[in-house]
Amino acid sequence: MSGSTNELTRFQAVRASASAFFRVTVIEELNYPATFVMRLFAIVTPLIPFFFISELVGDSEQVGGDYLTYAVIGLSMTALMSGAMVGFGTTLQRAFQRGTLETFLIEPIPWSTLPLAMNQWQVLQGIVYSTILMGAGILMGADINASGIPATILIGILGITSALSLGIISAAVLLLTLKSTPVLRVYDIAASLLAGSIFSVSQLPAWAQWLSILLPHTYVINGARTALMDDPGTFVMPLRTAVIALLIFDVIAFPFGIWLWNKTLGISRRLGTLGGY
Amino acid sequence: MKNQDDQPRIVVNDLVKIFEQSPLWMRALVRSNVSEPVHALTGVSFTVGPGEICAVVGPNGAGKTTTFKILAGLVSPTSGTASVMGFDSFENSVAVRRAIGWMPGDHRSLFMRHSVIENLRFHGRMQGMSGDAMMSQIRNTLSLVGLQGRGKASVFALSAGMRARLQLARALLHQPQVLILDEPTGSVDPVAAHDLVELIKDIVEEQEIGVLVSSHRLEEIETLHSRVLLMDNGSVRYDGNLDELRARWDKPTVRISFRTSAAAHDATAVLGNDGIGTVTHDGEGTVICSLNPGVTQADVFARLRGQIEEIVELKETHRPLQAVLADMYKSNEDEQ
Repeated sequence: MSGSTNELTRFQAVRASASAFFRVTVIEELNYPATFVMRLFAIVTPLIPFFFISELVGDSEQVGGDYLTYAVIGLSMTALMSGAMVGFGTTLQRAFQRGTLETFLIEPIPWSTLPLAMNQWQVLQGIVYSTILMGAGILMGADINASGIPATILIGILGITSALSLGIISAAVLLLTLKSTPVLRVYDIAASLLAGSIFSVSQLPAWAQWLSILLPHTYVINGARTALMDDPGTFVMPLRTAVIALLIFDVIAFPFGIWLWNKTLGISRRLGTLGGY
Repeated sequence: MKNQDDQPRIVVNDLVKIFEQSPLWMRALVRSNVSEPVHALTGVSFTVGPGEICAVVGPNGAGKTTTFKILAGLVSPTSGTASVMGFDSFENSVAVRRAIGWMPGDHRSLFMRHSVIENLRFHGRMQGMSGDAMMSQIRNTLSLVGLQGRGKASVFALSAGMRARLQLARALLHQPQVLILDEPTGSVDPVAAHDLVELIKDIVEEQEIGVLVSSHRLEEIETLHSRVLLMDNGSVRYDGNLDELRARWDKPTVRISFRTSAAAHDATAVLGNDGIGTVTHDGEGTVICSLNPGVTQADVFARLRGQIEEIVELKETHRPLQAVLADMYKSNEDEQ
């Protein structure tokens, strides 16, 4: 590459846009250092009530006798997926409102690379938050089985891909409706409840348990519990089942998300709403 | 790449854009701003050659921005074609976006909390530039637009004129063959606007870029000495140079002062019967002729041959360009 422009391959375009967006987002974050630090505090604070609740719950069979570990893994995996899922829609909506979206769209990169390029900071943030939550949980006394970490990383990667897919689908809808993050936030909360982030899925009514089977969150959270806890409680998700279910979800949802994103871009170009808010 | 030097930079052919109401299923999600089809463009055609500046002028809603957005691939045409450097704007929009430098009038398109260099670096990376070569190009471009020494300044700290220069730098950074400037001076003061227009003119002359520029400031268009495309209601009303347009539509006023009121009275009778325009006598020694298009001061002088010795002063004034254009827009006659 040089000072003058080059025709980029798709891979180079993804790399170029990823590095450009990453740099611009890091600089923006560094512009607000206090917010960055406060956000880290905010992510750890919710753990404190669960420390005391775990004292209250005691050795419930539902959660494998260790509620703190159970909740820490649930919250950590939810944070991991939340960043990837809500990030793209949030960044896109901010670009709509600030007027920078047109700047992004006028750049000579395939628009299908934007969902990954614009979302990488939030994905990274989700990973950092998730790790901090896990670390803080261990400091509070959560009993994490270290031998399950590689399996958890695999489930985490598959889970991030699932969340990205859902985020791209939501962002595609955002292009047409101009607002979708409130819907996604509701989904995020509902998913964390139905997937049993802070209680066992087996405690849900039968119909809700059926719904939870459809959510990738269920496989990520409970798969991680199987990997990281000696006794994951009454709702046991075999690792193999979690990995296969997430793989199937990703193989279908990710290409569908990119297809839908391109499709709605086409509709927006036709309606003339691209870049408008 | 089809970039022969003599190749037209922009070709727009019979471009039609109708903005339809959004589908019913979409209206359930968000209210549509369009209640009936809007005919934004109704068959627009023009070309822009290398080193040519084409100024697009027209009232709000004339179709200027829609044309620009179709060229940049942000809006799809209903029918017709638009191409840049031989690449179709709709089918090959990535190649088109590589070939154009885009400057919107809105400063919000800049990263306000980032430095001047970071704004350009983002664009450079997207264009496939990197390393020292990119930084060298950034320095050259900043120097070209008169922002040398401002590289580390935050965009927030820049004046509106400087922000406009930064936007121009961003449009020029990757050395495009075509510049599309959508009201580039929209938010800067007249002095800064004049400087910016002069700068654009110099750059275009030097680099043989094809330029499409829209502006509401007609004095800028006159400064550019460019070809003018007058748009109205989605179509091109006039495509040519400003001098010809003025000759066709301007109605200059000739004010003639005579030694006596009687001489002025006689002159009014002579001129009034000659179809040169509207002639009025102020009751004293002055006659004011509002000339019909095509009639000149010399024509008036010729008709007053017998009274030349009575004339004290003869002064011709031209109407502002905006008044000329307003007349043209009010008429239904196409000037193409």
